[in-house]
Amino acid sequence: MKQFKLEIISPNEIFFEKEIDLVIFPGSEGDFGILKNHMPFLTSLRVGIVYIYLDKKLIETFLVTGGIIEVSGNKCSLLTEEIINTNSVSSETVTDESFNKDDTNLKKMKDKALKKLYYS
Amino acid sequence: MPSLKDLRNRISSVKSTKKITSAMKMVAAAKLKRAQDNAEKTRPYARKLSEIVSSLVDNNKSKEFKYSEKKTKKNKNILLIVCSADRGLCGGFNGSIIKFSKKLSEKIIRSGYKVSYIFVGKKAYQSLQRYCGESILEFFYDIANPSIKFDLAKSIRDKILELFLNNSMDECHLIYTEFKSAISQTVQSMQLLPLNVLDANGENNSNRSYDFEPSEEEILNEIIPKNIAIQIHTALLENLASEQGSRMTAMDNATRNANDMIDDLTLFYNRSRQALITKELIEIISGAEAV
Repeated sequence: MKQFKLEIISPNEIFFEKEIDLVIFPGSEGDFGILKNHMPFLTSLRVGIVYIYLDKKLIETFLVTGGIIEVSGNKCSLLTEEIINTNSVSSETVTDESFNKDDTNLKKMKDKALKKLYYS
Repeated sequence: MPSLKDLRNRISSVKSTKKITSAMKMVAAAKLKRAQDNAEKTRPYARKLSEIVSSLVDNNKSKEFKYSEKKTKKNKNILLIVCSADRGLCGGFNGSIIKFSKKLSEKIIRSGYKVSYIFVGKKAYQSLQRYCGESILEFFYDIANPSIKFDLAKSIRDKILELFLNNSMDECHLIYTEFKSAISQTVQSMQLLPLNVLDANGENNSNRSYDFEPSEEEILNEIIPKNIAIQIHTALLENLASEQGSRMTAMDNATRNANDMIDDLTLFYNRSRQALITKELIEIISGAEAV
């Protein structure tokens, strides 16, 4: 399977940069996947989980709270202000007060996204 | 002529000043390194985002959207965001920001527009407080402790978007110091709102025809606030780096001046000591001769 480059950029760092097979995003109009040689594409994300596949295996899952996807050339860029590796959070930590001071709505959405991940 | 005791006191006071300035120089150098690293880290995000925005705006030059200029109004309200440092002792850094802001606001007032201000950093606020009077909307300080948070840029962004969308502000400029190198920084103003269409850079990306989801306009309305936030954030980071750079050079100069002063004073001290000894000897000899 041929691969393409995915980069995830946050204001503080280049969070992720790797050649991958498939990535699935929680788009604002529904989930979608990107494979290699996708046409130029620009869209926004909602709160949810990003799944990254390499060699037909799930290698990473991240929790995002929104962002912009740009696909051009054989490259996909995700610009996001908040992204967390799901290994470092659980459903409980998201609802924990000390985790962040987000409004309850956002917290609920994060919680839902994570629960979905764990029970799938 | 000062007595020897006075000279000794002066030399020791200059020496202790030198110790302080050289310590401050070291601290500023360490902080500069960190500030520069932080500024470097945000660069990929800012570059990518402004690339997307400029290519989108390029495609939509003729259309009018939410954040473009409102042509209907005559009497403009202009908002200036002035970024300065919280502390002094950094050479001409704060002075040049204050001078620049004053000049810009006078120019705006002369053309008949109203000005309001948001201040980031104590120094500019303190010296322009009286000049601006009641047109200060907000004042942030102690932002770089321990590091500049992205949330600050976001809250400034939310504030200016709110003002812009309810028509109480028509133009927004950000005044900050661009970091060129540790010894060279220039004060700059950057237009945040309305969107500067001419801003699109030379390389032409407009032939990239994107597929949009949901619609081009909705995406644009989502991206632009993000872009403003990151622009503010990078400006704050550059400002911090400039402050440290300018403090480092100022303190370096001060240390060198203190060294020169110590040299001069020591020379003068030795000379007057020698003069005193010679005088005493002459007195003794001539006294002995007279006997």
